Amino acid sequence: METSAIVQFRNVTKKIGGKTIIDGLTLDLPRGEVFGFLGPNGSGKTTTIRMMVGLMRMTEGEIRIGGASIATDYEKAIRHVGAIVENPEMYKYLTGYQNLLHFARMIPGVGRNRIDEVIRLAGLDKRIHDKVKTYSLGMRQRLGVAQALLHKPSLLILDEPTNGLDPAGIRELRDYLRKLAEEEGITVFVSSHLLSEMELMCDQVAIIQAGKLIDIRSLRSGDGSQEAVPVPVQFELDRPDEALAIIRRSIRPAGDDGGREIRASVREGLLVIDALREDIAELNALLVKEGIRVYGIRSKAKSLEDQFLEVTGGESVV
Amino acid sequence: MFDFGNLVLNENMKIYRRARVWIMWGLMVLAVAAVSGIAYSSSANPPSMWQMVAIEMIVMMPLVSIFAVIVAADIVAGEFTAGTIKLLLIRPWSRSKILLSKYAATLLFGFFSMALLYAALLLVNIIFFGYEKGIKAAEVFGAADPAMSAWSYFNQSFFMQFISLIVTVTLAFMISSVFRSGALAIGLSLFVVLMGKTLGQLFGLIDRKWVDYVLFQHLDLTRYIGMGSSGANGGMTLGFSLAVLAGYYVIFMALSWFVFTRRDVAA
Repeated sequence: METSAIVQFRNVTKKIGGKTIIDGLTLDLPRGEVFGFLGPNGSGKTTTIRMMVGLMRMTEGEIRIGGASIATDYEKAIRHVGAIVENPEMYKYLTGYQNLLHFARMIPGVGRNRIDEVIRLAGLDKRIHDKVKTYSLGMRQRLGVAQALLHKPSLLILDEPTNGLDPAGIRELRDYLRKLAEEEGITVFVSSHLLSEMELMCDQVAIIQAGKLIDIRSLRSGDGSQEAVPVPVQFELDRPDEALAIIRRSIRPAGDDGGREIRASVREGLLVIDALREDIAELNALLVKEGIRVYGIRSKAKSLEDQFLEVTGGESVV
Repeated sequence: MFDFGNLVLNENMKIYRRARVWIMWGLMVLAVAAVSGIAYSSSANPPSMWQMVAIEMIVMMPLVSIFAVIVAADIVAGEFTAGTIKLLLIRPWSRSKILLSKYAATLLFGFFSMALLYAALLLVNIIFFGYEKGIKAAEVFGAADPAMSAWSYFNQSFFMQFISLIVTVTLAFMISSVFRSGALAIGLSLFVVLMGKTLGQLFGLIDRKWVDYVLFQHLDLTRYIGMGSSGANGGMTLGFSLAVLAGYYVIFMALSWFVFTRRDVAA
């Protein structure tokens, strides 16, 4: 069973009081990736995670982690897992170190050396002997990640990890998770409703809505494929209308590209042109040569948010 | 499997690293010392050592129950209230073993509290009044058996009250596992402990056979000590009381385990 999938969901279903919360979820998480789990509030993300870690029972189906079933072989399956479910709730009346010691004692082979190692990893050296109630949310989050990594899990599950973090904290966490996946080969499973966050962090995203898996998207498909498609590029200029005229004049549609159509327009004072990556530099050079002042160039690649709204039809789920 | 002792060590850490335990124990020892001290200094003819031990035992024993019940009621429900239960359960341990470690730590706390009271009662009163030998239980504890010594009654009494404490604590532990709110569990458990005696007397008024099986009728086992030749007490024997307590104990444990190991942990 040493497949490339660390987690296998097979037809996972959860019903509470006749209401179907999760409906026939089937999904494989590949090893060593940051895998996003995206959905609007109330779509079943947290329920799925609770079932993954055995806090909730499945009504139907099976979840296997590292080949071991979470329902029938829990103690083996859970050894692969480090997790924070929702908020990083630690024992507030204990110090950070005592909290880590507490969880280290529950797993064989985690000694004081490893505790010190994760403290350094999480950057908590200075405050580790203070009580957790004096910690900021960001520090609690880091302590949460530290406890999840104690036993060197092959799967790290984080439920809405960026909730309540400031931009610096989010960025730090994001870089850290990518590092874990790339350097340590840990699979990171992150749930979120923050689309832009997922876009920056994940290799793949599964989109769930009303308990159903509706799409899986790869966000890091090789750079080459992205270049092949022209994307809208915004130019911030001092005289956009004049620039548009220059471009229409200078670049003929029937150029060496074999008659590719140029789509350009001025919207809200910005010149928007569908262009390939290489074209952007040339357009810029052309505009500068013609004496147009270029203040900014932005590529408007279709964001995950657009994709997300496209897939979910933009409707909110109650 | 690997070391179950570590789990108990964890639970102990969570009990004794909090100030409240030390405040409770401090209050207990202080109260014993204060009562003895006042009796020693303010009375023209000071009471004897065993008299003070007898009085203070009756006053302080419910306090030990209350402390033990608070710890028991909080030990499971408190984790739900704080949300830490989620991190506790996602470890390579079955829920049964985690619950068992909590139960063990609870009983240990009850035992330590009892031991502390035992030591405090003897030490404080020996310091103030000096040890009295050859005192009969009939004089100070009001036991029926004229031959029994105060020392023997004192020890037996602690033993009996420890049995009651185990049942009471198990009741609180069950409430703790069933209700996930720490405050509710503590409140409900304290209500049961404090009202237990009154409820017991109330039930005693009812002239029906099933009343004999009510828990509160059996929580005071000290009445069976030193009965001498009288044998039965209100038609009941120690054996019968112990059997009823054992029955309740099994129910409490079964319910705790059933609920805790099966429940979905949400919110």
